[in-house]
Formats: sequence, structure tokens, C-alpha cells
Amino acid sequence: MKTKVILSILFFTSTVFSGYKYETILDNLDDAWSIVFLSEDRVLYTEMPGKLKIASLTDKSITNINNVPNVQYGGQGGLSEVILDPEFKSNNIIYFSYSAKDANGKSTLFLSSAELKEDALINNKVLFEAKAPRRSPVHLAAKIAFLNDGTILLASGDGFDHREQAQTLDNHFGKIIRINKDGSVPADNPFIKDENALPEIYSYGHRNMQGLVVTSSGDVYEHEHGPRGGDEMNLIEPTLNYGWPAITYGIDYSGAVISPFTEKNGMEQPLLHWTPSIAPSDMIYYEGDIYPELKDSFLVTALVSKDVKKVTFTEKDNVQENLFSELDSRLRNIQSSPSGIIYLLTDGPKGKLIKVLPKE
Amino acid sequence: MNIAKYPFAILSAALFTVMLITPITSITNLIWLASADMPVGFITWVEVILFDFQRLGIALYAVVVIGFGIAFAVAGLISKYSSYSGKYLFAVAGSVAIAMALFLMVELLFQTQLLGGNRSIIGKILHCVAGFFGGYFFYSLISVERSYTFIVRFFGILYGYLMLSPVLAWVFTPITAAADFGFVFNELSNTAQNALLRDFTSFFLAIFLFAILGVITLNPSWFLSAGIIYIGAAIFNLVAIYIHGTEYNQIFIFEFILGAWPIAIGLTIFLKDN
Repeated sequence: MKTKVILSILFFTSTVFSGYKYETILDNLDDAWSIVFLSEDRVLYTEMPGKLKIASLTDKSITNINNVPNVQYGGQGGLSEVILDPEFKSNNIIYFSYSAKDANGKSTLFLSSAELKEDALINNKVLFEAKAPRRSPVHLAAKIAFLNDGTILLASGDGFDHREQAQTLDNHFGKIIRINKDGSVPADNPFIKDENALPEIYSYGHRNMQGLVVTSSGDVYEHEHGPRGGDEMNLIEPTLNYGWPAITYGIDYSGAVISPFTEKNGMEQPLLHWTPSIAPSDMIYYEGDIYPELKDSFLVTALVSKDVKKVTFTEKDNVQENLFSELDSRLRNIQSSPSGIIYLLTDGPKGKLIKVLPKE
Repeated sequence: MNIAKYPFAILSAALFTVMLITPITSITNLIWLASADMPVGFITWVEVILFDFQRLGIALYAVVVIGFGIAFAVAGLISKYSSYSGKYLFAVAGSVAIAMALFLMVELLFQTQLLGGNRSIIGKILHCVAGFFGGYFFYSLISVERSYTFIVRFFGILYGYLMLSPVLAWVFTPITAAADFGFVFNELSNTAQNALLRDFTSFFLAIFLFAILGVITLNPSWFLSAGIIYIGAAIFNLVAIYIHGTEYNQIFIFEFILGAWPIAIGLTIFLKDN
């Protein structure tokens, strides 16, 4: 008891030192992975076992959404990202990614759309099935973002055992995919005229992308897990090759060298890399006004370092600052509410949704 | 000595097998890199194979030791209670041990193929062949009388194996190695960079070579020399902390251990010889 009191005092003290205070809004979330704001006080969120739920942030009531497709839960797979259509207020359409088995019984990544009507999904439609079959649901990436032209970007991971295929264009391992909202391929996709490439590919040479952000100026930023070391943050441009696994700043989990090379002509260098790994899990570009000190910076949640990295870029370098480390939690997701308040989702079977209160 | 030779034969056979296994992953990766138009030259091959032998090898060593321990115990029982015996029985046992270990690592632990070299059919076969030779080597070690030098040599080789890590780091990736010691290489003057590279590299390379020469010649002077260098490092670490006021660190504990280890080997040889 005495220890608990001391720890509580220490926790409180550190909270005051950082200037931020925290409020746990929801807890006991079962492997929650992604949240999106329906309004200032209602969030839609996914739980990896295949649950889609709406939570009220005021009375904390939770509504289960029915008619969610079956997902393959396990490993790193399950119901993953959920985002709203830019016209959600008028069409109620959402998009979500998940792992499931393909026709051959192999695990792969899917992207679906559906209309959210009260407590159910209707008009479910599979928009995309990755040609990236693997024996178990790992390294799926599964992040989704809208480009400013209304097309969808989807991150499709390298499948771990298939990393070399991130360098070839006849599959969806280690690729960023671009499709239209109806699942069709945009006519201006970068590889659409290359008969040796799959037409959905936007960029390639990626590993396990867990952060995908399109800024208001239209720039696409991504971060991805490296193996042991070599977590990367990249500025994504169509057609470009980001190098994995031919160039990397990390080594394999087993200790083996994946590649002794860190650069090559024709392969993009990351904007920054984290070695040792921080395990970046999500990212936003904060443009709100609630926290002036965070404005116009990237906020990257991390599982291993258990904090949020505030990243800003100067002309030649990057500046990083560690935030919210007093929470001492593996952070899975970060979102900004419509008014600009930051919410953090912690990882694991007893996850929490935590509201970050601005500095006084 | 006759009983002691069995565990040390397992440890030695496992190290030998790891030496055969790790290049399978290295070569698999290198072949792919070459096919992807990466500039894979002779130095790259040497660098990758040696790094993998050291880093991947350490990770695999415990797995192989456990696998061999079980497999050779079973093979020993079979040879005792049946008409099957001899080197091929242990060779097959070694092969089965590796196959089972790699299979269970995927099915029970990771659900993914952690060893790049084990993803293809040919890679799987080569791993089993490595296990076969490991079992054969084990039998050759236990089938003759062994003196104390067998154990001394094992500990000497293990010491050299551990020392290979800093040697490789300073030879092939000196800037990263320097960073591990707290040096920001590019911020040093040219003279300081030169001094850092030559002195640290020769420090670790000398200790590694002394250990290997000790294993080959069984001359205690080599082991004692290696030990004296490391004990010196430990002592002057403490001098730096307590007299020159540098920040406290616990590295001196490891330096004492890495100094005492070859000194113990050297003294053992010296006392036995006299």
C-alpha cells in the first residue's frame, strides 16, 4: 500500500512536470487498434478480434456494431484500421481494413467499405484483396488514408516471410496501394501502364507500415517498423522504391544481417530512422490549436519506447521530443478530435482511451 | 574426465553445427541481394558470413545445444539397448534434432520463418545436413579418450567466439562500434578518429588472436596475455571513475570476467603442465 502511494505520488509529480494531465475515458478495450471521431464526443473504434464499436465519451456507453465481416484474429491480424469517408456526414460510409483468409485458405489483407446505419453495417463491399498470401496474419500494415483527390491509400505489409517480394511489382507485399472509393484503379496510377506491375501499386519497398498521414498540403508521410533497428519515417511519392529489404538500417530479429547496405541509387532514404527500434504504431500531423507547442508537428506513438515522438523537420534535419512518457504504456493509436484534443489508445487486451489535457 | 567429455562434446558439436548453419542464411540473403543488383563483393560476403556466425550463431547456439542434448541422449539409449550404434546413428540424430528444432521454432513460437535460410526446400535440406555433420562430429569426440585439454580448448574457443563480435564490429562497422562506446565519430578530429580506430581495433583483435593461438598451441602465455589486457581495462576503468571522475559504469564487472576467464584457462594449463 505504501509503495502504491509513493508510486502514485511519483506519477502525479511526473505528470505535473511534463505539464500535461491525462484522463482515462474508456478502459478494458479488447485489443483496440484504431479510433476515429464521429463527433466531438463519439468515437468509432475497432477491436482486433473483429468488433467494431461506438463509444460515447460523455456517458461512456458502448454500442456494438453488427454485420462486421469475419476476420482472422491472431498474430498481428484482425480488424485493423477504420476511417470515415470525407463525405461521411452525408453518406455515412466508412472504410476498414482487416486480415482474413483468401480463397486458398491463406491469410491476406482486405479493405472493405460499408454504410454505418445506427448499430449495423449495411451495403458491405470488399474493395480490395491484397495479392499477398501468407501462412499467418503478420506484417499486414493495414493503414488507410485519403489523398486530397479522394482516392484511398492502403498500406500492405511485407508478410515477414516474403520480404524480398517488396522489391518486385507483381504482388502486394510491402506496397502502398492506391484505389478509388469503389475499389477500381485510378487511371493515373503510377504503374498502370506497366504490364509487369500490379496496377494498384503506388510505392514499394516497404516493410510493416503503421503510420500513414496525408497533410492538408497533400504530402504523404509514412512510418514503418524496421526489424531490430531501422524503423523509418518516409515522405511518400508515387513510383518510388523505399528500399526494403535491399537497404536497411536494421538487422534481423535473429541477429542475421538482412542487408549490409543502407543506400543505393534508385532507392529512397528515410527522412529519419530510429535505431534502436521504437516500434512506431501510429501517427498524426497535428494542426489544431489546443496545444500550441505541438502545432504543425508529427506525433508518432510508439510501442517499445512507450511514448509519443514529436517530430518536426528543418531544412536539413529533424528535431524530436519525447512526450507523454509518464503514461508508461505501449501506445497503439493517436487521434485528434474535431476540436483538436488529443486522445491516445493503449495497446493490448485491457487497452485504454486516454484524453490528453492541455498544459495549464 | 570420461563422463565430463559428453556435455563438452555436445557443446562443441553444437558450436561446430552453428558454424555450418549460419552461412546458409547468410548465403541465401547474399544471393538474393546480388540478384537485386546490389553491389555484393568479396568483402561483403566475408563481412556478412562472419557477422552472422557471431550474432545469429549465438541466438541459435542454445537451441542447438538443447536439441542435441535430447537427440544424443536418445541415440545413446538406442545404441545401448539395440543393435543400432555408431557414428551414423548420432549423425542421423543430429539431423533430426536440427529439423525438429527449426520446425518447432516456427510452429510453437513465432509462426513465421525466423531463419531466412530455412525458407526454401534446399535451405531446409542443408540445415539437416549440417545437423548430420554435427552428430558425426559429436560421435568422433566421444569415441576416443579425452584429456583435460579438450575442455580447456572448448572454453578457449568459446571465449574467442564471444570476442569475435567486437572484432567484427571494429573491423567492418567502426563508426557504429565507436557509437556503442559513446563516441560520435564524425565530431572527432581526424587524428582522434585515427587513434580511436587503430587502438580499439587492435585491442580487440589482439585478445581474439591470443585466445585462438592459445587454443591451437595450448601455451598458457597466450591466455594469460589476453587476460592481463582485459584485467588492465577493468582496473583503469575504476581508475577513470574514482580518480579522474568519469561517470560510474558497471562495464568493469564484465571486463574482470573477460580477464579472469582466459587467466583461469592459462593457469589450468600451467598447473597441469607442472
